[in-house]
Amino acid sequence: MAEVKTKGEVIFNRAAIVAVLIALVIMLTPIFWIGATAFKPRNLATTAPPTVFFEPTLSPFAKLFTKRSQLREPVDEATYAAAPWWEQLIYDGGESVVRNKKTGEATSSGYGNRYMNSLIVSIISTFLAVSMGTITAYGFSRFRVPGEQDWLFFILSTRMLPPIVVAIPMFLMYRAVGLYDTHVGLIILYTAFNLSFAVWIMKGFIDEIPREYEEAALVDGYTRLQAFRKIVLPEALTGIAATAVFCFITAWNEYAFALMMTSRNAQTAPPYIPSQVGSGLSDWTVIASGAFLFLLPVAIFTFLLRNHLLRGMSFGAIRK
Amino acid sequence: MARIELRNIQKFFGAVQVLKDVNLTIEDGEFVVMLGQSGCGKTTTLRAIAGLETVSSGTISIDGKEVQDLRAADRDIAFVFQSFSLYPHMTVRENIAFPLRAVRMSQSELDAAVNEVAGVLGIERFLNRKPSALSGGDMQRVAIGRALVRRPKALLMDEPIGALDAKLREQMRAEIKRLHISRGSTSVYVTHDQIEAMSLADRIVVMHAGLLQQVGAPEEVYNRPANLFVAQFVGSPVMNVSDIAVEGGAGAAVLSFGKGTRLPVAGGHVGHLPGQRPVKLGIRPEAVLLRHAPEPGFVETETTNIEPLGSHEIVDVRLGDATLRARVEPGFVGDGQKVWVGIDPERAHFFDGESGMALRRTA
Repeated sequence: MAEVKTKGEVIFNRAAIVAVLIALVIMLTPIFWIGATAFKPRNLATTAPPTVFFEPTLSPFAKLFTKRSQLREPVDEATYAAAPWWEQLIYDGGESVVRNKKTGEATSSGYGNRYMNSLIVSIISTFLAVSMGTITAYGFSRFRVPGEQDWLFFILSTRMLPPIVVAIPMFLMYRAVGLYDTHVGLIILYTAFNLSFAVWIMKGFIDEIPREYEEAALVDGYTRLQAFRKIVLPEALTGIAATAVFCFITAWNEYAFALMMTSRNAQTAPPYIPSQVGSGLSDWTVIASGAFLFLLPVAIFTFLLRNHLLRGMSFGAIRK
Repeated sequence: MARIELRNIQKFFGAVQVLKDVNLTIEDGEFVVMLGQSGCGKTTTLRAIAGLETVSSGTISIDGKEVQDLRAADRDIAFVFQSFSLYPHMTVRENIAFPLRAVRMSQSELDAAVNEVAGVLGIERFLNRKPSALSGGDMQRVAIGRALVRRPKALLMDEPIGALDAKLREQMRAEIKRLHISRGSTSVYVTHDQIEAMSLADRIVVMHAGLLQQVGAPEEVYNRPANLFVAQFVGSPVMNVSDIAVEGGAGAAVLSFGKGTRLPVAGGHVGHLPGQRPVKLGIRPEAVLLRHAPEPGFVETETTNIEPLGSHEIVDVRLGDATLRARVEPGFVGDGQKVWVGIDPERAHFFDGESGMALRRTA
């Protein structure tokens, strides 16, 4: 069947397309800027007007992952020829790699470790928050909990003040119990942040799943736990995916607590990137490359779950 | 197949008592329909049998074994929901196979059982579809298939066709009846639709306010209602009920409808009515008789409204303070015309004006 559109609808559609394009440009420009700067030679990073066309280089990434020092005089040709490609890129920028005195190996900058810390902390805390949140939400949704409304309000109230308000007491407590600068410490913190959010969002999704599904499974010979696993979880998958994306983004982007509660061992990537600003030389290409790599996991995670996020609630098989 | 016994079942939701001492025995292979308005406790009773609801006191036994403390999974009973509740993330085949997967069963046995039940219900061609791609009637066929595939001890149905449109309901009603006859499964069926109850049931259980009002075969419930509630709930159009005064006795009486309208009646339950007490006359439209000319036992009145229904017409006539609705042939009488009205004493019901209980000859 052909769609019939009035003139007004056509104009509205075109206006909507233009609006979406403008919004897209506004939102994507900073990301393009970061992405472009991450591949620029250092001397093109801060030109005015900005350089749009250039020959991309990987030297910012080589610099990002290594510890370097300024070269007083150019390196001799034999050493340059013997060096691996990434070290040559560093030499090209007038710097040399700082080597371990005993082994002679290049020293890493610490970004790699920080990045791994970010992944470990974000993935584990997201998993914990979503799984505990789902189970808690199921309990609130399906059983009569004495004081249910009060409990739910209490859970929500943990998000009612800016987290940074509790930073100092948290810092003192963490230091006292030995959680300062540990992965476990950050995981507990981020799980606690996200749990209230996960409970509330998942409760909404689970409330939407009709009880009759589980009751049918219970009558058909399954236990409550089996019914939860075989019926509720698959039905709640959309909600779980959405909640996981938001929890992951929160944990991945968290800056203030990561800066305060960690130093060397468990520090995540966000506090590291700005630490490269200043300290004598501000190499914006290195900062951009760090930020660019930092954007990738969230983008990939969201991309993988996009079908669940877009599918929405499609409960077609029940009559209400 | 099984015999289900409910003994002294009470159920409270907080302070509200929804089941008041329910006693009922459902025989092996019987089709029992629980009939009542919403909130009367019929669904709660059904869910209690299934184990989806606990009872506050009393015992439920299936084949002599008490089950009220068992989990739903251990009662070996199947349940069909009004909402069908097919699992949307599974295909029709997986939906039907789902109860079989709870017990370890070989794939070939499982396939055979699913195919057999799909054949009986005529849903083979949908087996690989998702439930959302089915029509309402087919969804309910799948739901019934999922209930039957395990060969449960009893099949419980909670308004299974209530969500379908009228034509489909009629068709599904016939299918459920045919299925029951061919499988002989003990079935308990909850509905608020008295036509469904009449057409399907071996026995009807009429419930109201958590109490069983009457338990009996459809014709018994229709022809000998135990009280005013049953009389008015069963039958369409609804039975005429009017307050009357009774004069006389011993086989014949004069029923006074107020405003000086007096109808002499003889036979039926008439001679056994108590004098002096308020009495209600209940008479179904088909037992209200109209005549074009005066006859003994008929009084003159006028028609006040006519509802043509194709096969017959419902005619309203005034009789004293009461309006009686009579069922007549199409075109029998016009609106506002003079007619003579009488009642068939054999089909007249009398109820105690206070308790609503039926007053009848104790034969």
